[in-house]
Amino acid sequence: MIIGEQKPLDEIQGLLEDAEKVLVVGCGTCVTVCFAGGSREAQILSSSLRMSSKLNGHPQDVSDVTVQRQCEWEYLDEIEKEVAEADIILSLACGIGVQAMAKHFPEKWVVPGLNTTFLGIPVEQGIWEERCAACGDCVLGLTGGICPIARCSKSLLNGPCGGSEDGHCEIDPDIPCAWQLIYDRLTAMGREDNLLELQPPKNWQVSRDGGPRKIIREDLRLISDELES
Amino acid sequence: MSTEADQIQIIAYCCQHCAYAAADLAGGLRMQYSPSVKIVELPCSGRMDVIALLEALEQGADGILVAG
Amino acid sequence: MSGKDNGYLVGSHLEKMLRAGHFAVTGELGPPQSADPAVIHEKAALLKGYVDAVNITDNQTAIVRMSSIGAGTLVLQDGLEPVIQMTCRDRNRLAIQADLLGAYALGLRNLLCLTGDHQIFGNHPTAKNVYDMDSLQMVQMVTDMRDKAIFQCGDEFKGQTAKFLVGAAAAPFADPTPFRPLRLAKKVKAGANFIQTQLIYDIEAFAAYMEKVRELGLHEKAYILAGVGPLKSPGMAKYMKKNVPGILVPDEVIDRMLEAGKEWAGKKAADLSPEEKKARSKAWQTEGIQVCIDLIKEIQKIEGVAGIHIMAIEWEKAVKPIVEGAGLYPRPEVN
Repeated sequence: MIIGEQKPLDEIQGLLEDAEKVLVVGCGTCVTVCFAGGSREAQILSSSLRMSSKLNGHPQDVSDVTVQRQCEWEYLDEIEKEVAEADIILSLACGIGVQAMAKHFPEKWVVPGLNTTFLGIPVEQGIWEERCAACGDCVLGLTGGICPIARCSKSLLNGPCGGSEDGHCEIDPDIPCAWQLIYDRLTAMGREDNLLELQPPKNWQVSRDGGPRKIIREDLRLISDELES
Repeated sequence: MSTEADQIQIIAYCCQHCAYAAADLAGGLRMQYSPSVKIVELPCSGRMDVIALLEALEQGADGILVAG
Repeated sequence: MSGKDNGYLVGSHLEKMLRAGHFAVTGELGPPQSADPAVIHEKAALLKGYVDAVNITDNQTAIVRMSSIGAGTLVLQDGLEPVIQMTCRDRNRLAIQADLLGAYALGLRNLLCLTGDHQIFGNHPTAKNVYDMDSLQMVQMVTDMRDKAIFQCGDEFKGQTAKFLVGAAAAPFADPTPFRPLRLAKKVKAGANFIQTQLIYDIEAFAAYMEKVRELGLHEKAYILAGVGPLKSPGMAKYMKKNVPGILVPDEVIDRMLEAGKEWAGKKAADLSPEEKKARSKAWQTEGIQVCIDLIKEIQKIEGVAGIHIMAIEWEKAVKPIVEGAGLYPRPEVN
């Protein structure tokens, strides 16, 4: 899922400028599960903003509302009224939700309350780790289900580099060396041969490097471009 | 005739099994405590929530006491 | 050229030395964090005649320095043959190939392909890294440029190809160690002609590694140059042992360095006069050079080692006494 982290209060206050009426919009999906931008966080942040703005001498009218998913138009229609009343929208969704809000309510200034950090997993209560780089050309079938693109600091396909030490990456002892993990797993599974094959340079065109990506599924569309024109 | 201390608002969130019962007992024993303290009974201090705490502060509480 | 090239891949001095079976000596030169050519010329003068070729580092430890191709061209003008280091950190496959065409046109013939230190260790830790390819993929790409006259995309060269003697690095003691000889095999399979290893201080461990390398027959397919470097102090030895991944420093080596400075043992730097500090530093350096010489002599006994790569960055003066002390001076002539 998408993992986010709330921005510092000072930065959020800066983004809200002198708006009188602020609407904090939480999102009920990914950022709820990672405790960054759900209903609870929206309520807490609203209260914090009300008090801090009061202390700063420019009290702001801050209210909050949370939708099931900010990245789908249907859910945004539900809060049309609340949005209409606000001077500024503080979205606690990931970057996708923030952009959906801005697109759906073009007359409103929408600012982000979170930093969208990565695609990852809660490895244990309170700890999230990155797992996927959405590179567009999955190599997990070669590497035993451990992603070298997202989890190796250099995204090597023929690792590990010389900086692997005691199972961790040289850039930070808290980061496991993805290639040590891959080596261990493939060895345990009797698939060492995968490691001996020279992996060719990756096709990054299907990644972000090929420009913004788009998927069109004609079988799922209600009106195709051809019919429209 | 209110003193400065009387105007201070302390919200005490008390567990019904211990802290609230203790306050009740203190009352029964005619023990005095400051009128600044307003008690809110909780089924358990684990019920205490940061949202309720912030709400109390927003509405003018000067301090919060969670007892359980 | 043909007919006179004796089947050399590129005919560089380094290739000729290796092919002739001489125990090769390469050195290392770190370009300055400035645009001053004088620094390069000074360092080159210290190394000329003592090494067969000199590696020119590429933004070493991710710190911005004069480019390896620029500095290598200056070194070449001084009559010393450079080995251009090229990392995957700062360039994508277009930039790497374009720079190599330029490098060849400038007369550079040896190349060392590296993944490159992560930028977090350097002076621009907030930079975006590239890592479009890894070092193995680069080895294969430049080998194909030379042998198949194609670019990475498969397009053919239009005219002169860029031909390099292709080198790669090896970290024999980095984790997971059982995989290291196999990864070396992968580099050789990708096309590496020569290998320069990470610093070796533990002869026993290196001999064990070389045994595996020989089992795989890699020493017959690529020239393996063992990395060595003089220690400046016991502190440096301890620091490397503790902090640098893939470097093993046995206690005997540390003890030798401590012994060299025992006259000043137990004294803090602040308690020493400038003269005493100088004397201590000299004693350490003398021993550091001697340790290096002794290591080279041991390494020469290991089957399959084709030479040494002396890494005395910012201490180029040490190369002369090391090469002389190891009995590797004067360097053989090849034509």
